[in-house]
Amino acid sequence: MSRQRMDADTVETLAGVVRLLRRAAEPVWAAVDADVAGSPRQVLGLGIDLAADEARNLLPDAISVDGPVPVGDEPAGLLRSAEQLLRRVTTPGAGTGLDGLRTQVADLVWEANTGAGG
Amino acid sequence: MPAADHRSVGELLAESDELARETLLDATPDHALAMVRTWKQLVESAAELWAVLPSAPDSPSGLYSMERLRAVGQAIGRSVTTGHWPGQGPTDERLTQIADNLSRARHLIERHGQPSQRATPETHSDTPHAHGEMMHTLYVAAHGTAVALGAHVADMQHRLEVGTRRRQLMNERPTALEITAAQDMIARFDGFEQLAGAYLFGLPATSANPGQVREAAPATRLETALAAWEVQAHRTLANNPDPADLVRVARVQALITSTTSVLTEAAARKGHIDGDVLQRLMPALEANQVAWSRAAKRWGELTNPASRTDIALVAAASEVRAAIAGAATNPTGWATAEQLASRLDLPDAVKTLYLNMVASVDITYVVRDTAADHPGLTAPARIIGMRAQGEAEIAIEQGETRYEGVTWTTPREVAANRLIPLPEPARRGLINLADDVIATTNQAVAAAAQLDPSDSVQRTKPRAEPAAGRPRAIHESFSRFEPPGGPRR
Repeated sequence: MSRQRMDADTVETLAGVVRLLRRAAEPVWAAVDADVAGSPRQVLGLGIDLAADEARNLLPDAISVDGPVPVGDEPAGLLRSAEQLLRRVTTPGAGTGLDGLRTQVADLVWEANTGAGG
Repeated sequence: MPAADHRSVGELLAESDELARETLLDATPDHALAMVRTWKQLVESAAELWAVLPSAPDSPSGLYSMERLRAVGQAIGRSVTTGHWPGQGPTDERLTQIADNLSRARHLIERHGQPSQRATPETHSDTPHAHGEMMHTLYVAAHGTAVALGAHVADMQHRLEVGTRRRQLMNERPTALEITAAQDMIARFDGFEQLAGAYLFGLPATSANPGQVREAAPATRLETALAAWEVQAHRTLANNPDPADLVRVARVQALITSTTSVLTEAAARKGHIDGDVLQRLMPALEANQVAWSRAAKRWGELTNPASRTDIALVAAASEVRAAIAGAATNPTGWATAEQLASRLDLPDAVKTLYLNMVASVDITYVVRDTAADHPGLTAPARIIGMRAQGEAEIAIEQGETRYEGVTWTTPREVAANRLIPLPEPARRGLINLADDVIATTNQAVAAAAQLDPSDSVQRTKPRAEPAAGRPRAIHESFSRFEPPGGPRR
């Protein structure tokens, strides 16, 4: 998506997605640390981190993603919220970056709902 | 005026290989430092020639082999130029000559066309196996450098011992730190050599060298993803990385290590790996995964809401994650041994992962260099103030007096949670964690030596543990490389 053409609502929504994804990763990594070495949850944790990176990289440098920390510590719920926010972005001409992110987050919701990630 | 150089591409390559073998014959302590300093120049010349050679191998390992080596060569070069051991100084004549030969070969090809076209006398030569010959040159030169470094370490250890016994002044004898730095460099050259060996011994066997080379590994998504990841991790870390990049590097390496454990265990269950090897390897892999995870967590403390990860690193990490998820997991966690055996050629997959572990040795040193040298590291005041205080207290308990009574943040910085330059004790903590990663990676690589994809490397020459610091024996089996297709003359 062209960063120049992004309107204020889209920017705010994507910043919210970044915050949700970063928050969703935290309990996953906490669970990885609590597990014995070699936890399969690393796959989900890394996936959420990378989705957050993708979302952050859709935003221009000048945009701050500071904001209220999302409430909750259940990864699947936080990911679902991120997915719903992404559905609200309807910028015409939105490029493959946003489409890819939507798919990525939808996959992560599924992964978090299965045994490996939850 | 110097005489005109009429050597062909083939002759230049042959002479380079001869020179590389000479480094082995003359691998004395005196040469070691200069060889390390010249390494980047040599690898750069090789990579530039590689790029203009025709018919680049199309296997994943072939495509990425030189890029991997170039990344390692550049990382070693950066360490030297930023003042790490051995620092600036004279360069090595033989390695410089090899670099010059390779550059001249590239100029010939660029000027006269591909050597296979045999357009001119200069390029008229038998060079269809130039990739293999060049790789052999690097492989032997890396071994020669490691041997010289081993001799240098032994020499320093001897001088330190004698100097301590005779109570020489500190500045007249080597320090333990110098010895450790040289041993670390041996580990990096060992890794380089094994990566070159993995390419070399993966070339298709021919009637000329049936026992020397083995079948190339199948082109798997995992192999490609891991090779691309290693190259990208080096590139990102070389380019003023954000702490978020370091977090991602550490998390991906931890995941790869866990995957290595899972596949190794499955391969053992299927009878591909000896039980003794498994017993040595599993604890080492576990320790390595924990070390990478701790490093990730600590680097994470340096990130802030504005942190941004390198897009190219994200792409490479995503591909590694997807490849691992597809190959080694099921909806409830890691795949079972049966599932893994049905999806993968387990011995090949384990060897691919082992090769990544070898390549990650150099990444660990780059991470430590970043922790030690990155001038722009900042962190949010609240967490890093606490971290710095914790590290300072540990250092004070160990006798460090400089940190006594020092405060690391101001109340105003804490109140606003400002980004502040990384306090020294916090940086020290990052370096210590990087040292743990280095130690556990080297232990895992040593424990996995019998899984080495270049088994024939192990069989044909002796290897010394880096920590042993003894010069390695020069082995006659470094015979002239016979490229596939038979001897050239």
